[in-house]
Amino acid sequence: MKPMFRGLLGAAIVAAGILSAPARPARAAEPPAKIALTGARVIPVAGPDLEGATILIEHGRITAVGADAKIPFDAMEIDCTGKVIMPGLIEPQSWRGLDVPNETLPVAPFLDVADAMDPSRLYFEDALRDGITTIHVIQADSTVIGGLSRAVRPIGLTPDEMAVAAGLALKMSISPRGGYDRMQQMATFRETFRELDEYTETIAEQKYEESLSKENKKVDVGPAEARQRGRKLLTDADHDDQHRNLMRLKRGDLIAWINVGSAMDVAPAVQLATEHGFFEKTVFALGSDTFKAIGELKKAGRPVILPEDLFHRERDSVTGEIRETFIPAKIHEAGLMFALQPNPNSSMAERYLTYQAALCVRHGIPRQTALEAITLNAAKMMGLGDRLGSIEAGKVANLTIYNGDPLDFNSWVEQVYIDGILAYDRSDDPRLEELLRLEGVAKEADEAKRQAAEEAKKESAPADGQNAEPKPTEESKPAESTSPAENARPRRGGGGGR
Amino acid sequence: MKVQFFQIADRRINSSLLRFLSLFAAMLLPPSAMGQEVSAYRVGKIITMNEKDEVINNAVLIVRDGKVAQIGKASQVEIPEGAEVIEMPSCWLVPGFVELHNHSAGASTDLHDYVYLTNPDLRTLESVNPGTENFKLARAGGVTSALLISGSGTNMSGLGTVIKFAEGQMGDVVLKFPGSIKIAQAGNPERYWFRVGRSFMNYNLRQTLQAARDYHQEWLDFESGKTKQQPLFDPIYDPFRGLFRGEFIASMHTQQYQVVMMTLMLVKGQFGIRTVLDHSTFDGYKNATLVIEGQDVITINGPRQLYFDGTQRRIFGNAHRWWQGGIPKLGINTDSPVIPQEELSYQAAMACYYGWKTYEAIRGLTRIGAEALLLEDRIGSLRPGMDADFAIWSGDPIDPRSTCWIAVIDGQVVRDARGELRRF
Repeated sequence: MKPMFRGLLGAAIVAAGILSAPARPARAAEPPAKIALTGARVIPVAGPDLEGATILIEHGRITAVGADAKIPFDAMEIDCTGKVIMPGLIEPQSWRGLDVPNETLPVAPFLDVADAMDPSRLYFEDALRDGITTIHVIQADSTVIGGLSRAVRPIGLTPDEMAVAAGLALKMSISPRGGYDRMQQMATFRETFRELDEYTETIAEQKYEESLSKENKKVDVGPAEARQRGRKLLTDADHDDQHRNLMRLKRGDLIAWINVGSAMDVAPAVQLATEHGFFEKTVFALGSDTFKAIGELKKAGRPVILPEDLFHRERDSVTGEIRETFIPAKIHEAGLMFALQPNPNSSMAERYLTYQAALCVRHGIPRQTALEAITLNAAKMMGLGDRLGSIEAGKVANLTIYNGDPLDFNSWVEQVYIDGILAYDRSDDPRLEELLRLEGVAKEADEAKRQAAEEAKKESAPADGQNAEPKPTEESKPAESTSPAENARPRRGGGGGR
Repeated sequence: MKVQFFQIADRRINSSLLRFLSLFAAMLLPPSAMGQEVSAYRVGKIITMNEKDEVINNAVLIVRDGKVAQIGKASQVEIPEGAEVIEMPSCWLVPGFVELHNHSAGASTDLHDYVYLTNPDLRTLESVNPGTENFKLARAGGVTSALLISGSGTNMSGLGTVIKFAEGQMGDVVLKFPGSIKIAQAGNPERYWFRVGRSFMNYNLRQTLQAARDYHQEWLDFESGKTKQQPLFDPIYDPFRGLFRGEFIASMHTQQYQVVMMTLMLVKGQFGIRTVLDHSTFDGYKNATLVIEGQDVITINGPRQLYFDGTQRRIFGNAHRWWQGGIPKLGINTDSPVIPQEELSYQAAMACYYGWKTYEAIRGLTRIGAEALLLEDRIGSLRPGMDADFAIWSGDPIDPRSTCWIAVIDGQVVRDARGELRRF
């Protein structure tokens, strides 16, 4: 079975005209008709783990899960014994998929990230390699109102081919954008929404008058009542681009994705969302110290995206002592739903979502909660909880297959299925192969260095003894005052070593 | 008299029989009586670039009154009496090169207008300057036609003009107007005064094209009798009706994967406009699949024919990668004066150095360019009835050692370097 998939993938690569590695970006293949992944330990996230379970996938959808799931005669079986299958991981927000992360206009609700998305980014390939199957691409934080976001899968040639859900959320930032201060930021919000109200009243009144003139009636009520009635008649098409998405936001058709970069931003964020009627559709993206307003966050009870760095660090100005706070613990304690994001700035393991979840477990958060924070929670926040985020019949077949426990850092992502398509296979990853080869070379070099150092030590030891071997000649003598062991180590600009 | 008749027959009546008859009729009359000029070029090789991709060795090409009259083996073509004969038996005769991305046939101060982010109402026709030295230089490089477009400093910078590098004045050099609408989706319009980002530029471009298409649709509805009220004439958007009728192209300043992809999705996909991808450099070649699906999309690659891929740590030839991707129609541009237009053949030589094929490169400079401009019935290949625009080279024009000895436009020798030592 696997070779067949690889064939499909291969065909896509050749079709893309990229004959040598890498294959990015490549056209997404059609999902196979029916496949059954059998024998694996399945972590459905939606329920308890299942041992030796079967996942049946038909045309990209999961149709059955369980040890007793029946495999239809025409399904191709893929043996996953010894593997662990997770729902595909979800990155709750990212601007790394964008060619330019921020727009320059402070208020730009008419823009869409699809116009700036770059499917050829290596970032998408890395996402696959790390087991991520859905990414919420959204404008970055230097904005007041930043435009529409899009949920995508990291396969496909164009933003439309990648799209999971378009026009999902409207990005806003309470923390001031570059060049603004907080008062200016909030004044811009006020002005925007007040102007929206005025605009809506004007077109509502017009709309009502139009509706009357169609029936050859005259305006029969005062302007206030006319506006009231006109509002009910308004459709999306009546608004211009500048106002349409703001209206949809107020109506609850868009998710308000609000950057709340510090603790002091929480109260204004809650006030803004409440005042304009989108509080129930709000997701807060937190900064490092936002957790300090935990009381307000708890009271709001809205889901939150945690900052990339899960630790908040503060240095005591008097003692110099560094105090660390593990943010997820505070958020979990408050009972809030949260989603984790990978930390691309970390050269350490924090760039893996599974590691972020493992950190949570290490700090006392239940395993189930940690797993939800990298899968189901983000799906729910995007309003896609019925399609993504867990392994259940009826959901999209986005699966990440590990060769061990996902939270064990020795485990590899073996395969990734997106919409039932085999989108990644570790045995066919030339870039990873090259990386590991280089790692092997480095290891060998280290080993050689170590041996050289040991030998040098051995050689120098008898020289101190009584029955010394012939002393090294002048030429081979190391430079003065360096020990042989030190000399064996390569130094910057100094040659030596091997 | 003869001129009109010949042209009408050629242009309006698309029948080879009539065309033959017209030729025959012209032959019956003595040349002096018609005021027509006949010349014959006897060369070692003619690259015709016709539909059969014929290459004729030891060949003769007869020019009559600015058009190619006959073409064939020297042994089979009779040179008419009184014809001026040019004998260059060791040389190659190649169709004149067509340059798709040229800024230097006009006055250089007219390159940009930064007043608006889209400028649908600007016209390079008004900045054509047949007096510039660049005309002479172009001929020296065997370049006979070019699309003069305005710069890429804004998302839409105006209507382009197809010109010939002929001698003479405006009327002699303008071949087609509008030749294109120049659009730039990224990689320069960012400099606009409030520093626009990528999604805003595409939004903005979409708005302008939408306004133009709405205008076209209003008129279509009126013309078909669907609506009664005649729409108001709009001098800005009226020329765009030709764009939506497919009479001229969008010449796209586009490069990198994301931008080329957006060109294909937005300009070609959403608006169905005849699209020519100028530049298409960096990793734009990864769009080959989408270009093939775009069917009539033509890629005119360059300038700078190489791309350093930082992730693979390798240098790629852009044209070669596009070609490997399987796209059927590929040409080369210089973005003159970024690379001077007379060095168009050098750009092709570079493309070949990095792996492209010589014959394909010659085709890319001639017939593909003409097809991109929708002028394949006038220029870009050598067949009876076509404009006599060609150059005679000392050898393969893609070989940088070759010299362009003679350039001919509309049958007139506009450059003759025989006896000269310098190339340009």
